[in-house]
Amino acid sequence: MAEDLKIKELISALSNGDKNALYTIYDTYSSALYGVIVRMCRDEDMAQDLLQETFIKIWQKIDSYDSDKGKFYTWAYRIAKNTTLNALRKPDLLIQSEDLSVYKDKALATNLPNYVELKGAIQKLEPHHQEAIALVYFRGYTHREAYIKMGVPLGTFKSYIRQALSLLRETYKRDLVLIWFCIEILA
Amino acid sequence: MDRKKIIDEGLLEKYLLDELNISDRNLIEHALKNDKELQKKFFQLEEDFEKMAFENAIAPPQRVKNNLKISLENSKVKKLYSKPLLAAASIALVFLFSAIWMYTKWQNTNTEFKALQNQTTVLQDRLNALEENYILTNTRLKTINGPKTIPLVLYGNELIPDSRAVAYVNHGSKMVVVNAKGLPKLPKDKTYQMWSDVNGEMIDMGLLRTDEELITLKYIEKAESLNITIEPAGGNDHPTVEKLIAYVTL
Repeated sequence: MAEDLKIKELISALSNGDKNALYTIYDTYSSALYGVIVRMCRDEDMAQDLLQETFIKIWQKIDSYDSDKGKFYTWAYRIAKNTTLNALRKPDLLIQSEDLSVYKDKALATNLPNYVELKGAIQKLEPHHQEAIALVYFRGYTHREAYIKMGVPLGTFKSYIRQALSLLRETYKRDLVLIWFCIEILA
Repeated sequence: MDRKKIIDEGLLEKYLLDELNISDRNLIEHALKNDKELQKKFFQLEEDFEKMAFENAIAPPQRVKNNLKISLENSKVKKLYSKPLLAAASIALVFLFSAIWMYTKWQNTNTEFKALQNQTTVLQDRLNALEENYILTNTRLKTINGPKTIPLVLYGNELIPDSRAVAYVNHGSKMVVVNAKGLPKLPKDKTYQMWSDVNGEMIDMGLLRTDEELITLKYIEKAESLNITIEPAGGNDHPTVEKLIAYVTL
C-alpha cells in the first residue's frame, strides 16, 4: 500500500514534468522491463536501446496512464512490449526471415544466452505451463501465435495459461504466508 | 459480457497483455468498472504478473540510464501535452475565435444599425414633408371646394391664345389661390404677375409660377377685377399694360 502511494506520488510528479521522478521510476522498474525486452528480442544492444525508448515514451505519455484501469507496471509493460514488437517487425530485421514468426523460431533455435532462462516461481511449474507463460508474457506472442507455436489446440493452450497462473498464485500466496510466519517468529 | 465468459475465454490475461481489439478492450474495462469480483481477480493477476516480472528482472547497464538522462536533459525529447492542457488550449482557441467572430459581427451590426438609423431619419423627413404637403393640399382643396369659394377663369387674349388660369377667391377667409399651369411657359427673364384693380388702381397680388398647381396670392379688398401681365423676372412695381394677357371681372 505504501509502495502504491509512493508510485502514485511519482506519477503525479512525472505528470508535472519532474525528470527526477522518471529516474526514480526507472530505478524501480527498469530491471523488470529489461528482463522482458531482452528475452523478447534476444539482443542486448537492441534491448538497451528499446529500454531507453520505452522510458522516453513513459515520459511523453504519462498523462494517458489511468490508475483506475490498472497498475503502473502493467501499463509500462504494454509500452515495452509494443515498442519491442514494432522494432522486431522492422523490414531490416526481417530481410533474412521475411516473417515475424519465422524470425522468432530462428531466434529460439540459436544457442540461448543465460539471460533467457526464467527464474522464480515460474521455474517450479510443469514445462508446458512454463512454456505457455513464457511465450505470452516474456516473448511477446499473442495467444493465437502461441498455441500454434506449442502445437496444441487453442482451448488447451488457454487451459495451460489458466492452470499456470493458478499455480503461480498458490506459490506466491505460500511465500506470503511464509514471510508472515518468519516475521511473527522474529517478533 | 458476463464474468464467467471473461474468465473462461482468458480475456483478462489478453487485456493485461494488450492483445484485445478496441471493442473488446472497452467491454472488459466496462465489466471491470462494474464488477468488484472481476476487478479483484484482475488485480491479483496484475500482482502475480508483476512479481513474476521482478523475479525475472535483469539489471540493464548503467549507460542506458545515462543515455536516457542525456536525451531528456538536452531537451531532445519533448513531453507531449497532456489531455487537460490540450483541452484547455482548444477551449481558449474556441473562445478567441468566438470573440473575434462576435466582435466582427458586432461591428457589422453597428454599421448596419447606423445605416438603418440614417435611413429612418431620411424616411422621417420624407414623411414630415409628405404630411406638410398633404395638410397644405387638403387645406387648399377645402378652400377651393368651400361653399364660399368662387372659381374664376382667366382666358388668355391674343397674346397667348388658347391658354387660361383659374383663380379661386374666398371673400370669407380672404384668400386667393391661383392655378397657373394652363399658361404657357415664359423665358427665364420673364414672369407672370397678378394684379387687383381697385378703383382704377392696379395693386400687386404676387408672382405666378407656372410649375406649381396652386399658388396662394395676396387677397385685396374691394378688387373689381383680376389681371395677369407679363413682367420682367422678379416682378414689377407697376403693371405693363401692353403685356396684359388675361383678366376677369369680379
